Amino acid sequence: MGRAKIKRGSTTVDMTPMCDVAFLLLTFFILAAKFKPPAAIKVVTPLSVSNKVAPQKDFLMVTISKDNKVFLDMDPALKGDVLDELAKERNLSFSAQDKQNFINAQFVGVPISQLKQFDELKPEQIKGTDLPGIPVDSTNDELQAWISAAVNAQMGQRLNFLIKGDATSKYSTFSQVIDAFKKNDQYKYDLVTTSEQVPEGSELYKKNIEEQLNGGKKPTE
Amino acid sequence: MAEMEVKESSKKGPGVKKSKKHSTRVDLTPMVDLGFLLITFFIFTTTVSQPTAMNLNMPKDTKDQQDLTKVKESGSLTLLLGKQNVVYYYYGNDPSTMKTTNYKDVRDIILKKKKSTPAADLFIIIKPDKDATYKDAVDILDEMDINDIPRYAMVDPTPDEYSKIQQTEQANGIK
Repeated sequence: MGRAKIKRGSTTVDMTPMCDVAFLLLTFFILAAKFKPPAAIKVVTPLSVSNKVAPQKDFLMVTISKDNKVFLDMDPALKGDVLDELAKERNLSFSAQDKQNFINAQFVGVPISQLKQFDELKPEQIKGTDLPGIPVDSTNDELQAWISAAVNAQMGQRLNFLIKGDATSKYSTFSQVIDAFKKNDQYKYDLVTTSEQVPEGSELYKKNIEEQLNGGKKPTE
Repeated sequence: MAEMEVKESSKKGPGVKKSKKHSTRVDLTPMVDLGFLLITFFIFTTTVSQPTAMNLNMPKDTKDQQDLTKVKESGSLTLLLGKQNVVYYYYGNDPSTMKTTNYKDVRDIILKKKKSTPAADLFIIIKPDKDATYKDAVDILDEMDINDIPRYAMVDPTPDEYSKIQQTEQANGIK
């Protein structure tokens, strides 16, 4: 009786296609990723349990550095209008070139009087530690002027106010920033934080689980 | 394919040394491993760096006494944030009964107060003093979220409270 011979295949698999796929994906992810521009001001945000993603559109962001200086950043789409409005409110004049420089600049890090020179600097020349920041004290509250310009430039449309403070900055600076917003009748802010796990067993933890059990709906009050 | 065909040539003269033939096939498994490792790394780093935001609503400043929010003395807990992660707290209206705690234990104090007070009366007043850091304020606001406190407010401490904190800090040797 002739036994059917089982053909023994090799156990080594050709890894070439898999390698191709792996590197193709790698290349795709690297190219698709948006790179963070090297930040001139280093800010370490505090942790919070909030899981809401910070708005990326129509925002005005106030940054508080660890040496308690205040900087301003905004949605590039708004920059032109905001500068026009500021010029109107403060009786300043900016040439077309100044305006273009302002739009290209990463953020506002100096008092308005030095703004033109600051905007001409290249990103490599800007060092967060050398900048004076925007004055927020009650005698010369330029932050308030900026906020007012931004609010008026938006003409009633929604503007998201983000406050990104360094964990070690003083509360008093934050309080001054809040005051500048309050003077413009703006009372809702988003504090930029780094997300953290909700502590197990806490009230919020229980509430979140309840929400999940109810099919993602908030319990009706 | 990564292999090359190597032609067998048997036409070799006598005395010609036979060179040993190595396989040109390369094991790509480690390379695949590396590829996927990098992919995993990039995916994790890109999703984690997404910043989150925490909502904060501040009340309007009013000079009119009539418009001020009224808080029941029995339902209020005041938290004062001082230097070096120290929290001072007192119940009701009397700052002289101020006690000291820290950010870890403050949760128990808030929860105890929450359990012993009717929900409608509960009100937590947060007073970060001049020396508190921004992190302290965010931590306490976060604590309100974690413990599900519906009503709280952030205000400046009164001069009395501030001097009391400074006295306590000096007594405890906190600079």
